[in-house]
Amino acid sequence: MPNMQPYQNPTYFLILGVALLPIMIGMLFGKKLHWYQTLISFAFLLLTFGGPKWEQGIALICYIVFEVCLIGIYHAYRQKKNATWIFYLAVILAIIPLVIVKITPALEHGRASFIGFLGISYLTFKVVQIIMEIRDGIIKEFKPWLVLQFLLFFPTISSGPIDRYRRFVKDYNKSVVREKYLELLDKGVWYIFLGFLYKFILAYYFGSRLEPVVSRLAVSHGGISWWLVAYMYVYSMDLFFDFAGYSLFAVGVSYIMGIETPMNFNRPFKAHNIKDFWNRWHMTLSFWFRDYIYMRLVFFIMKNKLIKSRITIANVGYFTLFLIMGFWHGLTWYYIVYGLFHACAIILCDAWLRFKKKHQAHIPSNKFTEALAIFVTFNTVCFSFLIFSGFLNVLFFHGTN
Amino acid sequence: MNVFKKLFQIFGPIALAALILFVFLISPFGVKKISQTTIQKAALSQSPNIFKGSAVKEAAMSQNYVPFFGSSELSRMDALHPSVLAQKYQRNYRPFLLGSPGTQSLTHYWGMQGISKQLTNKKAVFIISPQWFVKKGIDPNAFSFYYSNLQTVEWLRHARDTRMDRYAASRLLNMPSARSSETLERCILRVAAGQKLTSNEKTYLDLKYNMLKHEDQMFSMLMLKDRRSLIEEGEKQLPDEYNVAKLSQVAENLGHKNTTNNRFNVDNNFWNKRLKKNYQKLRNEQSNFSYLKSVEYSDFQLVLNQFAKQHTDVLFIIPPINQKWADYTGLSMNMIHQFNHKIKHQLNSQGFDNVVDLSDDGASPYFMQDTIHLGWKGWLKVDQHVNPFLSQKQRTPVYKINNYFYTKSWQQRENIN
Repeated sequence: MPNMQPYQNPTYFLILGVALLPIMIGMLFGKKLHWYQTLISFAFLLLTFGGPKWEQGIALICYIVFEVCLIGIYHAYRQKKNATWIFYLAVILAIIPLVIVKITPALEHGRASFIGFLGISYLTFKVVQIIMEIRDGIIKEFKPWLVLQFLLFFPTISSGPIDRYRRFVKDYNKSVVREKYLELLDKGVWYIFLGFLYKFILAYYFGSRLEPVVSRLAVSHGGISWWLVAYMYVYSMDLFFDFAGYSLFAVGVSYIMGIETPMNFNRPFKAHNIKDFWNRWHMTLSFWFRDYIYMRLVFFIMKNKLIKSRITIANVGYFTLFLIMGFWHGLTWYYIVYGLFHACAIILCDAWLRFKKKHQAHIPSNKFTEALAIFVTFNTVCFSFLIFSGFLNVLFFHGTN
Repeated sequence: MNVFKKLFQIFGPIALAALILFVFLISPFGVKKISQTTIQKAALSQSPNIFKGSAVKEAAMSQNYVPFFGSSELSRMDALHPSVLAQKYQRNYRPFLLGSPGTQSLTHYWGMQGISKQLTNKKAVFIISPQWFVKKGIDPNAFSFYYSNLQTVEWLRHARDTRMDRYAASRLLNMPSARSSETLERCILRVAAGQKLTSNEKTYLDLKYNMLKHEDQMFSMLMLKDRRSLIEEGEKQLPDEYNVAKLSQVAENLGHKNTTNNRFNVDNNFWNKRLKKNYQKLRNEQSNFSYLKSVEYSDFQLVLNQFAKQHTDVLFIIPPINQKWADYTGLSMNMIHQFNHKIKHQLNSQGFDNVVDLSDDGASPYFMQDTIHLGWKGWLKVDQHVNPFLSQKQRTPVYKINNYFYTKSWQQRENIN
């Protein structure tokens, strides 16, 4: 059986284009072909998780059964009672598979866990979100079929963007008038082609052409060199165009299917400071962390009056958020240092913004300071990506990245 | 707004792009003529894109260009380099340099696939490097660097159930490059197993061939290195009339002038860049090097088999090793003699009789430009064999290919009678 990873090559897009044709025609006549959508979702999941990747397919099925049961049981419980520890237990159970998958390589010399599969992180984010909103009472009904549609929505299954359950369900059920759909189609096709430029031209150039050259030169030079600086920028560009290109594909395909999956990037290198950056970079992930970790932690601390100073509360929140994000990327020193680096950067940024507000009269603000802010932010971010790349691990500790 | 107009706005550009792509890539029409300037540049460029492609090579070989297969020595373009001499003395041939650091027998075998027609009943020069014959032969990464699907597709279209094709297929399957396309990998597997390709596979190969060929025609000549000035620079240093004694004097002077900062008769630049810092670590470092047991022998057999198939008349050159350097690094001369013996056996026993063995010239000053690469006087000596071989009519060679040279037992054999 053939196997294809999402958006890997032109053939995938050709198959996708043909498979989406009935959906497009249906949508143009105001009809949502839900049964057909389910059918091709299944076909594309089979294409990604079948054939030589069948073990991942089994892992995915077991994971989905487990998580949907968990959601169902917690929902049933929440209808009657609302104990905090049960809620914690549900969240812990929901993330346990992901934790195992993340820890296994660190314990077993890089070997992947057999319960893992492509996209487990993103599914876990979606599940945790549902459980938390059930607890909040925002999600009132448990509809297994819709939960499945949401979790297994194939355009975004492997790497997001991370949609929200209530938003997704609204789009899923809503019928779209022709004019509106033509707009969606227009945008969807545009995003996919922009994605081609990003992923298959720019990311290819940076990642497959320049990166091997600069990394070889940086390694042969050893230590800190201008080639290392070049590597930093090349890697950053590759990371952005690769991921942004992929996200554009996912969003574009969603639009064609009538689902307005949120955007993941908004010109991140134009950010004026680190806070601004995280509102533009991998947005669905940072908003998820903001809403389900940071806000909840801050609220918890304030409610229980653990810390008085609002500034300290915010800083503790940042450290927690970025440390968890670091661990989520993987259990290596460089991911964790990357998290801590961003925590420090955002705390400094906050301090600076407070200072600026107090001394507004004396700090100039003009085109030049704006350019300087963008420049400093860009370089700080690129440096953080250099840490993230694991290249320093190769360079200084002769490890792997 | 009208639905169809809007739909046309959305999908029109895609349809147009698809159409243009189809016309340019899949259609069997040729694209453009290759200019003389491009050919001249390409012949000297040693560019991987030229090596991997076939358009430029085809165009050049249909004229008076003769392929000079080799590796890193080809880039030693001093005044006595074959390309300079051929141009200066207006020979009836011009070298087309095929090879650069990292090219070995296997790369040359695949590189020849696109020019099989042009090489049929023609002449070629082939410089064999003893250094290729390490235990595992070519480094897979180096192979990937000079590999292109165009050559494989070209080869697959003509592959038959012969020992050569099966062996070539099995070697290719050992390389990461073979896995670049699933369909191609399946076809290569078939050839390795001695099976016929299905008609679907053949159609796929035909379409793929048109596509890759057009890609080659459009892109392989972009950003070509222009080394013509280097050749003209060399020409200026040569006497107007071809005279071996005078040329030898020029070679002597150039060699003398360029090897002043070390005691190994190694070119100053090479010394500064590559050896100065670490040469002390290299003392006796090569004492247990051996070029006697290697898969390269069978890869080399592929090259010979291909030449035989095309009835190409080939002059083989075995360059020496800088004696002073060999002594310093402890390279065994006995082993080198055995290597020469073994490779000459493989050549002569199959009817490849034009073999120039220069291995005794390693001690002659300025014969080598550095440690293992021919230079000034070495190039002159090469020319004394190459010029008559290419300028004069040769009797038709008779080759008898022996499949024994594809076996492990030959790869591993040390004693040749």
